[in-house]
Amino acid sequence: MHELSLVQGLLRQLADLAGKHGATSVSRVKVEIGPLSGIVVDSFCFGFEVLAVEDELTQRAILEIVVPPLQYQCCHCGSSCPATTTMPDSCPRCGTTLLVPAGGDGIVLLQVEME
Amino acid sequence: MCDDCGCAAPGPKVVEVNQSLLAANDALAAKNRTHIEALGAVAINMISSPGSGKTTLLEKTIERLKGELRIGVIEGDIETERDADRIRAKGVPVVQLTTGGACHLDAALTHRGLHALEDQLVDKKLDLLFIENVGNLVCPATFDLGEHQRVVLVSVPEGPDKPAKYPKAFVSSQLFIISKTDLLPYFDFSPAAAAKEALQLNPRLAVMELSAATGEGLDGWLDYLRSLCR
Repeated sequence: MHELSLVQGLLRQLADLAGKHGATSVSRVKVEIGPLSGIVVDSFCFGFEVLAVEDELTQRAILEIVVPPLQYQCCHCGSSCPATTTMPDSCPRCGTTLLVPAGGDGIVLLQVEME
Repeated sequence: MCDDCGCAAPGPKVVEVNQSLLAANDALAAKNRTHIEALGAVAINMISSPGSGKTTLLEKTIERLKGELRIGVIEGDIETERDADRIRAKGVPVVQLTTGGACHLDAALTHRGLHALEDQLVDKKLDLLFIENVGNLVCPATFDLGEHQRVVLVSVPEGPDKPAKYPKAFVSSQLFIISKTDLLPYFDFSPAAAAKEALQLNPRLAVMELSAATGEGLDGWLDYLRSLCR
């Protein structure tokens, strides 16, 4: 349940941003969670639901999660496989099986709407 | 500014941030790495499920390398000093971090542990720093602690499907250890199949098989550690 500590970090980041922009209320938060980040989206949302209401700044904030599709890259020819949910058996271009996930392990605060 | 007429009425302000939620942790981890290097050490973050033999492997490693390399250990657990007591009995500096419920170590906790460990070092020098993470194959994989190498362990009784089920730990590690190989005759575990699945996720991963109980395969691990210190 490391999602909770990540939500705590997010809330600290939101407080900093609000301070910097003179905002008193955060209305919308957009976060990207990579499919290989090891973060469970439902747990993250639950953590946000529980913790955000404790602060006046974030109690009305709506959390929007974006999960980008996963891309695979061929170690042999370097070409990228189209985004997919399961790992392809072999590279569509050269046929070798040495494919690795390309990115998809990040968790990024994309955008904040505040007033 | 108001969208309709351009007056100065306050409205919602949209700020593009594009910053990792782990940015603060990662910045602190980078500081830890510099701190560890100032001690002259290489740090190894050990990740596995509970009971895969991390502490036993460390005990055997210390027994074999103690006269050769200066070793320090940071132990992470949710509760108790038990692992630190076991390591302390081997005669090397050790710090126990108890997370009090949290399922992983992070860079801030590690930073605290690093200072506590440094206080125990007479000449402020180390060759190898082991950071034994909280027993958990999921959460620790997300947090950089400032280590140089990440080692993931799976013991034979756990089954060979762990790489496929818990990919992040294997994608982010440099070495995969299959432990408790003395139990292979009693379990349906194919080291080759486990290694193949792990290498599919991370072709650069080194794979080792060993049994801390019998000492089989331990030499390869010790040589790997020596090569990191050179």
